[in-house]
Amino acid sequence: MFDPFFAWLESTAFSLWMVESPSLFAFPGILAMHTIGLGLLAGLNAALDLRLLGVARNIPPVAFVRLLPVMWLGLWINVLSGLALVIAYPTKALTNPVFYLKLGLIAVALGILRALLGTIRSRVDVESRTRMLAAVSLMVWAAAITAGRLLAYTCTRLTVEFACS
Amino acid sequence: MIEWQVQLEAFLASFTNVAAFMQLHWSWPAAESAHFIGLTLLLGSIGAWDLRLLGLIGNVPAASFHRLVPFAVIGFGINAATGSLFLVTFPNQYIYNSAFHLKVLCLILAGLNVAFFYLVVFRRIRTLPPGQPLPILARVSGGVSLVLWLTVIVCGRMITFFRPALCRGEEALQFVADCIVR
Repeated sequence: MFDPFFAWLESTAFSLWMVESPSLFAFPGILAMHTIGLGLLAGLNAALDLRLLGVARNIPPVAFVRLLPVMWLGLWINVLSGLALVIAYPTKALTNPVFYLKLGLIAVALGILRALLGTIRSRVDVESRTRMLAAVSLMVWAAAITAGRLLAYTCTRLTVEFACS
Repeated sequence: MIEWQVQLEAFLASFTNVAAFMQLHWSWPAAESAHFIGLTLLLGSIGAWDLRLLGLIGNVPAASFHRLVPFAVIGFGINAATGSLFLVTFPNQYIYNSAFHLKVLCLILAGLNVAFFYLVVFRRIRTLPPGQPLPILARVSGGVSLVLWLTVIVCGRMITFFRPALCRGEEALQFVADCIVR
């Protein structure tokens, strides 16, 4: 149904550059940036979760607010690099249910982060509800990363024309 | 190809049981997912401390981030284990791969930086009262750590594109599909 749209995206100059350019700054570089962004956002979020779960108790949770700019940097790197990767292979991503599962998991993880930040900023003591949210956050990020990695193995169509091998 | 590379390849290729297991349907994707979760744990725990050493979270005692290090070690352990699985499954894809060479070099340098940090820097910052500026060596060590681990990640992601005798530019689309998408 969306094939004409996918075919049009795949014929745009940017998509062709991503797919065909031999430059390391095209597909390989943008893919590498996507992993850097993941490491910064999910990694620092994991450090925050661990703190809320009781590790490194002498770091006040509010200190992690200072790391937020780095986490948002990671998020924006991944929004932009992710868009570029979808424009490179729109059929591959958008016809794969696992892709939507990954987006959903990221949305949940970001929602939990928002809730945790609210608790941290109000400087109330870490209660069991917060600890549970932190544990769920770790699991949801791990699931999102796994879903992302499995995209390469669960796709059925690579482009409008070619199937995934 | 150098003699010792050929010998190393032969040694790694001798783990045929592991290689057979890794070529079962979901072994490779599962190990890859674990490798990415491991890198996240490692970069998150070490990166938070590096950013503290660089001065981003000024008022927290720098040594308190030490408690996150066991989780970086867990992340590293997951990745050393899963990385070894990849290596013994397709040794020639790594041993003659420039991206992998640079990754190993950065891993060694990162290891030396950890040794330097614990032998020289950590003792000095451990007793430092909060608010006191960190010694320059602490900042340098934190910055070097961050740069090295990020380079390790980039090199790891680049391994696919430097596979010997596979995935060189200009090939037909279906072939690029095999190489690039994975």
